[in-house]
Amino acid sequence: MAQRRVAITGLGLVSPYGGDLPDFFERLTAGESAIRHLQTADQPRPLSIPFVSCPDFNPDQALGKPLASMMDRFAQLATAAAFAAWSDAGLERSGPARENWGCIWGTALGGTLAYEKGYRELWQKGRERLSPLAVVLGMNNAANAHISIQLGLGGISMSHTVACASSAIAIGEAFLRVRSGAAPVVLTGGSDVPQAYGVARAWEALRVMASADEHSAPAACRPFAADRRGLVLGEGGAALVLEDWEHARARGARIQGEIVGYGYSCDHSHLVRPEAAGQVRALGLALADAGLQPDDIDYVNAHGTATAEGDPVEVSALKTVFGPRAPELPVSATKSMHGHQLGAAGAMEAIITVLALRHQVAPPTAHLDNPDPACLGVRHLHAALRGQPLEAALSNSFAFGGSNAVLAFRAPDS
Amino acid sequence: MPPMNSIDLIREFLAERLDVPAEQVTESALLTDLGVDSLMLLELIFEFEDRFDIKLSPDIKPPQSVGEMVTLMDGLIARHKS
Repeated sequence: MAQRRVAITGLGLVSPYGGDLPDFFERLTAGESAIRHLQTADQPRPLSIPFVSCPDFNPDQALGKPLASMMDRFAQLATAAAFAAWSDAGLERSGPARENWGCIWGTALGGTLAYEKGYRELWQKGRERLSPLAVVLGMNNAANAHISIQLGLGGISMSHTVACASSAIAIGEAFLRVRSGAAPVVLTGGSDVPQAYGVARAWEALRVMASADEHSAPAACRPFAADRRGLVLGEGGAALVLEDWEHARARGARIQGEIVGYGYSCDHSHLVRPEAAGQVRALGLALADAGLQPDDIDYVNAHGTATAEGDPVEVSALKTVFGPRAPELPVSATKSMHGHQLGAAGAMEAIITVLALRHQVAPPTAHLDNPDPACLGVRHLHAALRGQPLEAALSNSFAFGGSNAVLAFRAPDS
Repeated sequence: MPPMNSIDLIREFLAERLDVPAEQVTESALLTDLGVDSLMLLELIFEFEDRFDIKLSPDIKPPQSVGEMVTLMDGLIARHKS
């Protein structure tokens, strides 16, 4: 059976800038950081970290109180992003039978805020019982379950938990299902809320997080820079509607881009130390899957978290795959502005990559005044790239645990 | 413990969780019509147990209406006090 083309017909996210999707992309292309200093008051010991929040997100307003009260914040962000993508795709929330339409979601953490609340009740307050909703608030598949219920999706409903590659893998797996004809439409994406006290402290203990005060927070995440000091966590939710090309055309949907390839691999060597060889395999598989050559790629949205070890390894992998063309390969790490949303990062960056192809402008890596010599060898975008045709692009997501995922996209009319 | 009767507690819960206006919470109203599904009923019972420091038997017959819920709660509170 011939493989189907897979259109991207809807994009949606909860923006850390507070505005809509065009505003989100405009701010990124302008190099504006959403990173702020997070100082908490209600913890056993106050957290003081650079962080990316969605401060304007009001779950009761976005979802209605009855629905919002059944969800942990990670599922609230997920459902709000899904509703936005659904609406962007021109689809009604209730419609004709959608028995083989699906939802494939990504989350690294699941309902950590619900779990943490439960632990506080049990350990701090000495209580014996928890809310009956604790299980359904905390479970990792709560997000896709709520989305499937709300949108009437009767096919596959599942979540992938693969650390920082969770939603890239969710998108890849959704892509495979639409391409094979198993589902005409799959809503996919990811969400996470790493601000739970225990989660934030655990990340601090790994010594991979940047530190900053109020003044320095916006520039705290500096991928590929000589003075980079680590990643900046953020909360978020981002969703894409993947749709069988002919199905999309038949209903007159606006095709915003095409997903054409998915490559995945495991370093199979270390839990947290990345290996270029594994990343090279994932990049090569994504290109082969898409039927693209390295010369066809006009932009790479890097994983680029600003850790000491990760950034040079990613550049090394890109240099291996792109060979002599690597010095001209436009690359940017947008986490320098929107931070690292863990299980939502792959979906946010997939959206950014699709928008880059659609609008023919690629966002920069912010704060890259002084690149690390170990990260040289690709064309780092110090400012937005404009005036150059962008027809095909890759988005990299490399996870703790050694799982790598690379997604390949094409511009809507290329 | 706040001095609150059973129907007031149900009204407070439904307003806080489900945005249900107090005037809709009458004794004849069915809980499902107010948006209380089986999960939310468990949560309501949990809240009630918590507030009055009592514990319901796990095999109670689930109340269908606000009135049935009130009767159940009032009975338990009375027994708890005696």
